[in-house]
Amino acid sequence: MARTNDTSFLHDAAAGVSRRGFLGAAAAGAAAGFAEDMTVLDVLKNPAIAAEVKKQQKHVILLWLAGGASQLETWDPKPGRPTGGPFMPIKTNVPGVEISELLPRMAGRMQDTAIIRSLSTGIGDHGGGAALMETGRRKEQGLQYPDLGAIISRELGRADSQVPDYVSFYTSTEGRRKGTSGFLGARYAPMFLSENMVPPNIRRLEAVSDIDHKERADLRDLLARRFTQGRKSRNNVLGSHTSAYQRVRGIMASEQLFNIEDEPTQVRDKYGPTQFAQQCLIARRLVEAGVPFVKVARAWWDSHGQNFETHQELCADLDHSMHVLLEDLAERGLLENTLVITLAEFGRTPKINPSLGRDHFANAWSTSLTGCGIKGGSVYGKTDADGQNVAEGKIGAGQLFATIFKALGIDHEKEYFIGARPLPISDFGAHPVDEVLA
Amino acid sequence: MRSRWFCACALLLATWSSAGAAELLPSETPINVAIDHYMRLGWTEAKVSPAPQLSSAGLVRRMTIDLAGRIPTVGETRAFVASQSPTRWTQLADRLLASPDFAFHHRNRLDLLLLASKKRDNEFRQYLLKAARDNVSWDVLFRQMMVGRESNKDEKPALAFLKARAGSLDDLTNDTSVLFFGVNVSCAKCHDHPLVDDWKQDHFYGMASFFTRTYLTKKNTLAEKFSGSIKFKTTEGKEKQARFMFLTGSEVKEPEVKKTAQQRKAEDAEVNRQKKDAKAPPAKVPDFSPRAKLVEMALRRQDREFFARAIVNRIWLRLMGRGIVDPPDQMHSANTPSHPELLRWLARDLAEHRYDLKRLIRGIILSDAYALSSRQVGDGGGPPPETFAVGSVRVMTPRQYSLSLFVASRNPDDVSSQVRSADWAKTRETLENESNDLANQIELPGDNFQVSVDEALLFSNNDRIQNNLLRNTDDRLVGHLVKMTDRQLMITTAFETMLARKPAAEEIAAFVAFLTKREKAGRVTAIQQMVWALLTSPELRFNY
Repeated sequence: MARTNDTSFLHDAAAGVSRRGFLGAAAAGAAAGFAEDMTVLDVLKNPAIAAEVKKQQKHVILLWLAGGASQLETWDPKPGRPTGGPFMPIKTNVPGVEISELLPRMAGRMQDTAIIRSLSTGIGDHGGGAALMETGRRKEQGLQYPDLGAIISRELGRADSQVPDYVSFYTSTEGRRKGTSGFLGARYAPMFLSENMVPPNIRRLEAVSDIDHKERADLRDLLARRFTQGRKSRNNVLGSHTSAYQRVRGIMASEQLFNIEDEPTQVRDKYGPTQFAQQCLIARRLVEAGVPFVKVARAWWDSHGQNFETHQELCADLDHSMHVLLEDLAERGLLENTLVITLAEFGRTPKINPSLGRDHFANAWSTSLTGCGIKGGSVYGKTDADGQNVAEGKIGAGQLFATIFKALGIDHEKEYFIGARPLPISDFGAHPVDEVLA
Repeated sequence: MRSRWFCACALLLATWSSAGAAELLPSETPINVAIDHYMRLGWTEAKVSPAPQLSSAGLVRRMTIDLAGRIPTVGETRAFVASQSPTRWTQLADRLLASPDFAFHHRNRLDLLLLASKKRDNEFRQYLLKAARDNVSWDVLFRQMMVGRESNKDEKPALAFLKARAGSLDDLTNDTSVLFFGVNVSCAKCHDHPLVDDWKQDHFYGMASFFTRTYLTKKNTLAEKFSGSIKFKTTEGKEKQARFMFLTGSEVKEPEVKKTAQQRKAEDAEVNRQKKDAKAPPAKVPDFSPRAKLVEMALRRQDREFFARAIVNRIWLRLMGRGIVDPPDQMHSANTPSHPELLRWLARDLAEHRYDLKRLIRGIILSDAYALSSRQVGDGGGPPPETFAVGSVRVMTPRQYSLSLFVASRNPDDVSSQVRSADWAKTRETLENESNDLANQIELPGDNFQVSVDEALLFSNNDRIQNNLLRNTDDRLVGHLVKMTDRQLMITTAFETMLARKPAAEEIAAFVAFLTKREKAGRVTAIQQMVWALLTSPELRFNY
């Protein structure tokens, strides 16, 4: 079929005009202030705008339990069964809901959290499982589908954003995956932090003064303006070059968001010294400044041997970090607009192997959703007595994604287009789990 | 309700037959003449006028980037612009095609197409480099990649294409179909095409059948099993046996050989041993090789259209910024070519000239259509891109860009004379290696590539940009400029070196103002930052 212009590749509201609104009409004045203020930090200094950001913008913090956390030692304990393991369930502050005793703090803070115990996703290898749970669909040859972070930043980010849209921490080397914006293009690719707590190349070199840095960019802009005039490019790659350079100074200004030394001592003390907790604190700072999607990966839950010791250690970190993060978000009024997800590539086998480990298991496992748009205290789905199969409410990755989208107020039936081909944002035919939605 | 043709894999058998189509231009027509003939017909039909011809300096730049994989030196640009020869275009094309640069660049492009997005394989790169130098034809490369012999040291590296995909039958099937035949068959895996009767699951599983026996041994050699076939379920739940079927519908039958249970057992044992034992002798080769049959079928006269058109379209895309069929993996009848006769003519021409890609590249480069300005005249949307009435703006590959930055940031006198010297082949190889580091930090452009903020941050704040490309030493452009006293000459030199053109009045004014202001804080720094602005301008990043 003939294509009429070279920007038609993605013709879903690419200009961002009809994008899910960042600020409503009532806040138009504040929005104008936002666009003019080129740095996040200035924005945060303006209490009126900061309050509006909190009220209107939605965010996601994904806690990625890399390697596959055990549902039995977290959200779906099986006490007294051969598969149950040594740990006991404990009551939570939601009557009738019990979780593993390895999550004692979270047990006292389930009022905003929904548990889904009936994920059945069918892919039990790390790469394939991660790809499935990152994109919410099975891989299709020849098509690079964007991951959750890219879709969220596309749907919730602002076209003129000066902060990064999608920040991804993955410090451990085991199972490290960068994530992909697929056909949505580099604009929605993650800012990926694998080495340090601060993104690479975000700091100005000492050899270049701030004024040189700024004025040479103005000179570059002049060359770019003259060059791009009257020229078009496939997939607007020329425009992406211009906007990439235009975002540099704004992104650089966000460097401070990665600096937790800026936080008061009592806040830092609450989060404590683990790297995961500190990254959760950075995630909170980023969200507060308007970043739509932050992923924090904690590795390595792949407990083929010594499952119980592994989970004792990792669950302690998860329980503490997640609890303090949720408390902090709630205190700041951010939790109602921030969805905190725990997810992995799969769960772990109910059967305990001879090395006292649990192996990969995608047949019946759990996830948790907290905050924005979620019916707190709800539990969806059920596994059978030993946790071998889903007994009630079986869902796949597609339904989970549809649920996440709906919780955030994103039309879960929305479609992207590649040429004339529609690509639904949730996997084809996937419906949200309304039972966990507020 | 969502549209139900979600898996819109519009995979139909394209109407290859020329029934009803116009006669093609005679075979002996030069390639560039044929291209311009069909382009002009298209412009008339679409009622568009082509953009004007690109300036001489601009065209030298475009051709050098496309054939040498880097921007031209000042010396190269000047020599060409000064030339009065009526055949200077042909001379330039032939000089570049014969230069050591071409083989490196053509190798890099083939690697990018075939393997680089999966892995970096130095043996494969060496193999492609030798092939590019010797102008080994495309059908031979295809054959070696599919059925090269492990025992033959010249052919063995070619197998890297399949080895990198051997872990997944879907990858083997689909990547081979996409890259060599321009057809993405993966969509026909789960169901027949919903709209067109002639495209079935049989085609997907037919292609997969050619690879289902392929496996990697413990020693990482490529081997084929003695038997094995695929069964698949239709959407009605009926189980079907896949046949060895090519995209055209042509089939090959495996000769029936009666084997005793014992023979079968021995064959299975052999395969098992190959998979587990690193000390096993070379794998036994079965009498019937499905992959060899695929090659045979894909290249024979009545079935070769897919093979010929796919590579013509890829090369066209490389040089013109858009395929005649676009996107290039969707060559089917629901996605018709913009210029069907031209595609047929070029495919026939390529097949009749032993799939000589260098000859095809030369033909496209020498066409008038290749030489159009990328700037559209007048307002409005401009001509549709599939008319090729305006030159394309193409992002350089990481290596093209990185090599171009090396040329742009060096002392222009040095690099101009280096290119002319007898040692250039060696220097170019050194540059190629030196460019690895920077090239590896720039994202590989996929189908829907856009420049990311990571790249802009790298160029804005990485110390290697400052300390290497912007270094104030005699061998660098900055060092060369620092020695110049005439400010206007300095600015002009920078533009000519980096952008292959003179600065416009507005640019001179802006650069003079910048230098005047910034020199107070340090002259060298001011010149470095001026060079940075040129280095990071889209004009250097793109081939336009």
